[in-house]
Amino acid sequence: MATAGTGIFFDGATSARRPVLVELSPEGLVVRDPQEHAMLVRWPYNELDHLAAPHGLLRLGRAGAPRLARLEVRDPALIAAIDDASVPVDRSGAAERRGRTKVIVWSLVATVSLLLAAVFGVPALADKLAPLIPLRAERWLGEAVDMQARRMLDKGDASRPFECGNAEGRAALANLMAKLEVAATLPIPLEIKVVRRSEPNAIALPGGHIYVFEGLVEKSETPDELAGVIAHEIGHVAHRDGTRSILQSAGLSFLFGMLLGDFVGGGAVVIGARAVLQSSYSRDVESAADRYGVDLMTRAGGDPRALGAVLNRIAGTTHPGVEILRDHPDTKARVAVINTLAPASQPARPILEAEEWRALKRICTAR
Amino acid sequence: MNDANPFDARPAAAPALPQNGARFLGEERAFWRLLTRGAFLLLVTLGIYRFWLATDVRRFLWSNTEIAGDGLEYIGTARELLLGFLIAIALLVPLNIVFFLSAFGSGWLSQLSGLLALVVLALLGQFAVYRARRYRLTRTIYRGIRFHQTGAAWRYAVCAIFWWAMIAMTAGLAYPFAQASLERFKLRNTYYGDLQGRFVGSGTRLFFRGVLLWIVVVVPLLFGLMLALGSIDWTALSEAMKRGGDDVMSRLEGAGLAPAAVIAVLSIGWSVLALALLYPVFQAMVLRWWMSGLRFGALTVASHLSTGAVYAIYLRFMWIALVAGVVFAIGAAIAFAIAGGLTLWLGKGVLTELLSTVLLIGSYVVVALAYSTIYQATVRLRLWKASFESIELSGIDALDRVNAAGAASSAVGEGLADALNVGGI
Repeated sequence: MATAGTGIFFDGATSARRPVLVELSPEGLVVRDPQEHAMLVRWPYNELDHLAAPHGLLRLGRAGAPRLARLEVRDPALIAAIDDASVPVDRSGAAERRGRTKVIVWSLVATVSLLLAAVFGVPALADKLAPLIPLRAERWLGEAVDMQARRMLDKGDASRPFECGNAEGRAALANLMAKLEVAATLPIPLEIKVVRRSEPNAIALPGGHIYVFEGLVEKSETPDELAGVIAHEIGHVAHRDGTRSILQSAGLSFLFGMLLGDFVGGGAVVIGARAVLQSSYSRDVESAADRYGVDLMTRAGGDPRALGAVLNRIAGTTHPGVEILRDHPDTKARVAVINTLAPASQPARPILEAEEWRALKRICTAR
Repeated sequence: MNDANPFDARPAAAPALPQNGARFLGEERAFWRLLTRGAFLLLVTLGIYRFWLATDVRRFLWSNTEIAGDGLEYIGTARELLLGFLIAIALLVPLNIVFFLSAFGSGWLSQLSGLLALVVLALLGQFAVYRARRYRLTRTIYRGIRFHQTGAAWRYAVCAIFWWAMIAMTAGLAYPFAQASLERFKLRNTYYGDLQGRFVGSGTRLFFRGVLLWIVVVVPLLFGLMLALGSIDWTALSEAMKRGGDDVMSRLEGAGLAPAAVIAVLSIGWSVLALALLYPVFQAMVLRWWMSGLRFGALTVASHLSTGAVYAIYLRFMWIALVAGVVFAIGAAIAFAIAGGLTLWLGKGVLTELLSTVLLIGSYVVVALAYSTIYQATVRLRLWKASFESIELSGIDALDRVNAAGAASSAVGEGLADALNVGGI
């Protein structure tokens, strides 16, 4: 077994390249000047730092030393002897692999924990935080979102104004809203508008803004059907779903956009995961809004089943999209739940008089 | 891929140490192994593993590079990168909240907040680029002495943003001058121990070497786009857009949109093709110019990187990418078959949709990661090797009498660059 040999030494103070003698003494690795045999350094074996180097070269430093002194050894026998004497010298790479396995396990644990946070933590946090946001802040947020939503929805057709509304139509809508608002007793006033969009849909924004699309008014056959959809949207306002969804989306952006997914192709993971998670959150939200809508319609003296009827009609006309990415739960299941929740007795009269309903149906068409 | 791999035979029959040059000793196979393993771990940890992979890659590249007979060393650790990233996140979150809130506000501040955020983030990005460079330099050791970097990162950021704006406004003509100016700034502030670097590459020289490429690639694009814009009857177009309705398409055609589109597509097609064919020429030219402009005290560098070598590197990449593409096409067919089978077996339901979504996104990510891996294992590695092996040093005595100076810097810059996606890790 070799106990001495030659190497190249850099003292860490200058870049001078020095051929040296290397000895394995009991106290440590000794580096000597080849001519005068003066000891340059003695490094204890357990303080050796095994550094990256090309194949066939052992590069050593001293762990924790302020200077970056380096010893390079090429003699295979000497390398083997140093490896045997020193614990930190890890020629087989076994210690490195053990350390790396630990890193991988912990990274996987962190990944799972962040995913759990995204699936359960973010919606739970948003549920807890949304009621804490003061109503004034929510209205302010609503104004800002309202502006953006209008910009997105408004196709900019100059010949017809974006908001529908002749006097009779507006009066009928106000009457319908009055009935619903009295029954709902919300802490914030509602602002409802019928807008020129052909899709049969309605949306609720934070701060009590509700947009009913022209397409929905067309598709509704009774005033109770339209009222049912509006009651569902009032449910979103009452549950502060708009604010919650903004909080959720911010939370997911943070989790996926900042902490995870920063690698090639990671963008797709982020977008996909966000879409799946947000639609899974919104399933529960939609069911809750349905329950609220049924309850509100009952209290307002309308027919709660009408919501189910109009949902069935709308579902028949739209394309069956990718289910998991769609916000609303399966229509059949929704209608079934609505019908079980609705009380057995049906109201004797529709929520609006026939005259008013005719006016409301013409809200976008009549001048 | 069956061409003789020069790396495999290297360690056994290593040529004599070139005293006035550099060489790269890394085995390509080992690099492939490192990268494929890393890509898999990136996938299952959703990117958390990137700090370890980046450190492994740098350690491999640095420690296998030998300059004038002595090896480079990379002593950065993944832990430092992770910590730097976490600190960067902590710094960026309040900033993002401010931007988020000001976007919802009213008045001129919210109107400007988008632009303001863009400028601040661009500046911060260049700041991070400079700081990340400092981290890398202070973790680079040669002959027991570290490199380091001085200079204010915010000054670099302002200069870089200025030059990038100039490049954008001149359609790329300012690029050589921008590079020369920024490299002068960087190298002036770069030290090996107490040996100061400098950059002597001339922007004008690069300009005259590259202007022909610019004429071939960019001029047809500019010309085509201007011709296209000129051939559109703008009043008719705006009229058509305003009136809308069902016959909008026919009126759009009346506005001369069809010939404009043809001209635009032709010129863009030409430029993309020319760019793809000439990119290796450009890259070899810039690399040669950059390396030949490097100076450290009396040490001068000259590079003889051949354009043909860079072409060979890209051709090899294209060939491997093509083979991989065939493999992925077969894989995608199988994945679609599985997705179809699942739909039949489970029926249309939430679970099927979830599984097919995961399958779809998963296969996209696998393909993207695979191409990134192939690119790194072929182009990045071989360009690194070819660049180092192309250099010829003179005045290497200057490297013998350097004193240690500078201290290790933090990895916050790397973290910022990573969080801002400006090519940190």
